[in-house]
Amino acid sequence: MTGLILENVEKHYGSACAVQDVNLHLPEGKLVCFLGPSGCGKTTLLRMIAGLETLSGGEIRLDGENIGHTPAHLRNFGMVFQSLALFPHMTVGENIAYPLKLRGVGKAEQKARVVELLELIQLQAMIDRPVAKLSGGQRQRVAIARAIASHPKILLLDEPLSALDAKLRESMQVEIRQLQQRLNITTIMVTHDQREAMTMADIVVVLGEHKVQQVGTPIEIYRHPANEFVADFIGSGNIFPATALGDGKVSLPGGDALQVPICSSIVVGQKVKMLIRPEDLQLSAPQATAGNRLLGKVTFVRDIGATIETTVECSGVTFTALSTPCQGIGLGIGHPVSVTLPVEACRVLGG
Amino acid sequence: MSVLSKKRMALLPGDTGKFAGILSGFILLLAVLPILTMIVMSFSGASNLDFPPSSYSLQWYKAAWHTFVAPDASDVLSLGQAMATSLLVSCLTMIFATLIAVPAAYALTRCEFRGKAVALQLMSLPLVFPMVVLGLALLLVFDSLPFHLTTSRLVIAHVILALPFVVKNCTAAMLSIGSEVEEAARMLGASPLRAIVDVVVPLMKSGILAGMLLAFIVSFNEFTVTYFLYTIDVMTVPIWMYSRTVSSLDPTVFSFAVLIVLIDFVLIWALEKLVGEGGVSF
Repeated sequence: MTGLILENVEKHYGSACAVQDVNLHLPEGKLVCFLGPSGCGKTTLLRMIAGLETLSGGEIRLDGENIGHTPAHLRNFGMVFQSLALFPHMTVGENIAYPLKLRGVGKAEQKARVVELLELIQLQAMIDRPVAKLSGGQRQRVAIARAIASHPKILLLDEPLSALDAKLRESMQVEIRQLQQRLNITTIMVTHDQREAMTMADIVVVLGEHKVQQVGTPIEIYRHPANEFVADFIGSGNIFPATALGDGKVSLPGGDALQVPICSSIVVGQKVKMLIRPEDLQLSAPQATAGNRLLGKVTFVRDIGATIETTVECSGVTFTALSTPCQGIGLGIGHPVSVTLPVEACRVLGG
Repeated sequence: MSVLSKKRMALLPGDTGKFAGILSGFILLLAVLPILTMIVMSFSGASNLDFPPSSYSLQWYKAAWHTFVAPDASDVLSLGQAMATSLLVSCLTMIFATLIAVPAAYALTRCEFRGKAVALQLMSLPLVFPMVVLGLALLLVFDSLPFHLTTSRLVIAHVILALPFVVKNCTAAMLSIGSEVEEAARMLGASPLRAIVDVVVPLMKSGILAGMLLAFIVSFNEFTVTYFLYTIDVMTVPIWMYSRTVSSLDPTVFSFAVLIVLIDFVLIWALEKLVGEGGVSF
């Protein structure tokens, strides 16, 4: 099997567990994001793939070959560090040429490759500049150019954009994504920023509590979270308890019944967690309860210009609904309101 | 209004008041006084050590030059020979102390090992250990050896004394180097050793140079421990000067001392220049 395969990978520091039970198949040419809160072990996992941390157990295979114990310098993986880790005592050109120099590439060939890479990142004029004289975005590009100079098999990015300001980060996300697609290089990126992951990734691996929680495309992760952890971590959502009634119905804590997509693994009487995204809730003028339309009361309104966030208490659950100003029906605190939960927008979270 | 604002200004922190000026002037004077005395005495025209001298001349510089090229009647060695020994010992001390200190600094910052705290403590032991006892202890050790060491035992003693300074400077330089640059080099294809040579050592450069110069200065000026270990034909400049002072008390030594202070000044100036804003830890 081609691509990078992680099998039962785990890492312990003494008795403390950093990650465990990691089984992943990262296909060739894709950009994979490790997404998770800080301390979930995503950086440890990346460093194990890089060869900068030893494995406590399991295997890492690249195109069928076990590389779990190959030293970092023999793996030929490119890596961009959080601090970028450019060599401050070398110029831009020398930084990019360093991996080529180590591989015994001739001077002329080194120079040609450096020029080619600088063209790719549009910094041709900077070849003899010391790296300290570059701006944040330029350094970022140099770090990427250096990481891909020796045609690595895999590119690893460890929160590479965290040092940039918000605006530059957005444009670099697009730039890195385009570069990755042009070079068609398998890339693994670690981030805690879900917007970044949604923008850039082909596949998102959500990590939490030292385990892989879900693997899927960004939209799958958002629309069909596998469990409460993912539902809570990705985007904002209304997560609420309910009891299964059978026939695709659940009852809310307040007693109202709700039609939801049928989920075969749930038995009657089982307590479940439900998810509905704020943008899927529909508010309307108060009418009698019917189907998935429930009656509630507004407890808070946050009008932030582009969107209006309305908090509604309804059948013992506090929901947050997101609407645009033109959908607004002029609600204030204490007003009665009807809340519609479309059947297809309700998700039963596993377990 | 203007008087008031002036008073307010004087209260601002960082403003050098009159008091601070006088205090720093006084402290500087205290520090410079012995050197000034020495310089004045070196130009004495008299043949005793009365201060201030009754007349002034260059005769002691002439005398100093004579003892530099050939030993006086009262000396065993010429100052030139002592100077050659001193330079040799100082250079060797500088080289060996640095060769030990650079890997030591790396290990002390990067590696976790048993007894690291103890190692750190032991490293600065020579700074607080009584010199006389250290000199005696070393003499006992060297005399118990089956073979005879002369210059090399001075080098060994001086390396022990200089090591804390060099290690301290190298460690300070190491601490400012993140482990990520080293890891970056490894990811780019450098073996662990190659990463250290290509990335860590160049980034440590100022700390290493500061440590080297300090080692040289410590060795060049060392007296107490050397006093236990010198032999009649292998003498450093401070020992030579001491024995000269004991045997014939005339201002010649002051002329030499002026020269040595000049050399030290140049070295310290070079140190500040090399290290720049990084700072040296003594």
